[in-house]
Amino acid sequence: MEERRYRSASGAPIALRRRQHSASCRELAVRCPRLQLRSLSAVTSAVWLVAYGLFVLSENSMVLSAAIFITLIGLIIYLHFVKIDQESLLVIGSLGIQVTSSYASGKESTTFIEMGQVKDVVINEAVHMQKVIYYLCILLQDPGDPQGVSEVVPLFQSSKPRLDCLIEVYRSCQEILQQRKTAPQ
Amino acid sequence: ENSPAPLPERAIYGFALFLGSWFGFMLYLIWAYVPETWLFSLGLTYWPQKYWAVALPAYLLVAVGIGYILLFGINMMSTAPLNSTHTITDNYAKKQQQKKFQEEAIPALRDIPISEVNRMFFLPEK
Repeated sequence: MEERRYRSASGAPIALRRRQHSASCRELAVRCPRLQLRSLSAVTSAVWLVAYGLFVLSENSMVLSAAIFITLIGLIIYLHFVKIDQESLLVIGSLGIQVTSSYASGKESTTFIEMGQVKDVVINEAVHMQKVIYYLCILLQDPGDPQGVSEVVPLFQSSKPRLDCLIEVYRSCQEILQQRKTAPQ
Repeated sequence: ENSPAPLPERAIYGFALFLGSWFGFMLYLIWAYVPETWLFSLGLTYWPQKYWAVALPAYLLVAVGIGYILLFGINMMSTAPLNSTHTITDNYAKKQQQKKFQEEAIPALRDIPISEVNRMFFLPEK
């Protein structure tokens, strides 16, 4: 088990942890940076300043209670639905690939793709928000056409690692995926 | 055949356009500035309201400003999302035919599948 530090596409520090459970089973987890105290206090101060300004203009004290309420509810929604703490990829050679996202509130959302549907795991480049980024994705097999790709499943969407981290993950996945070609069916 | 060199016909078109645009501009100024009573006394009673002499340029400028934002938005909307197969292949690549490999000839141009490209770029150890 080893952990290495990399950078995300926007420059934030991320960490990649690799674990080899067996010869045909690997787990790769990317940990995103935690919620920063300074950005949390900046947003809270901005919202409360605006609310205080509205209170001074309107003389209605409900604005202040509403601002506190909104800040609390907004923080809970952000931690539970938006802020991803860790994204992990579990590749089991003969079985399939499991993608897990853990949110900051503790919620985990998992997707499992069985190996029969997986055509390949590749590093693709695409235009995203006025930038060209590299991202890892799983190509799903088209049942009718052996050469065709029916669907593309992008991985590590919120941590967006840079190419050096993606190459490590790609090589680990390819070692396992190549075993299924050499192994007898 | 279709060269951009000057020709007599093009000179005539250019001059006609020049005269036409000057005439149009003078007409617009007359319509905007000459008082309505003077125009009525000349018999020109059915010209559009002078309101439009100000409204149309205003509409045009706002449309140009919105056009910048609209073009930006249309570009963003037509960018393929990260989970679409259009980032990997398209109709021409799917229907391409494999040409036979000939010795001592330059290989035919074709779209190489992304798995092969990835293996070539990323698998070899440094």
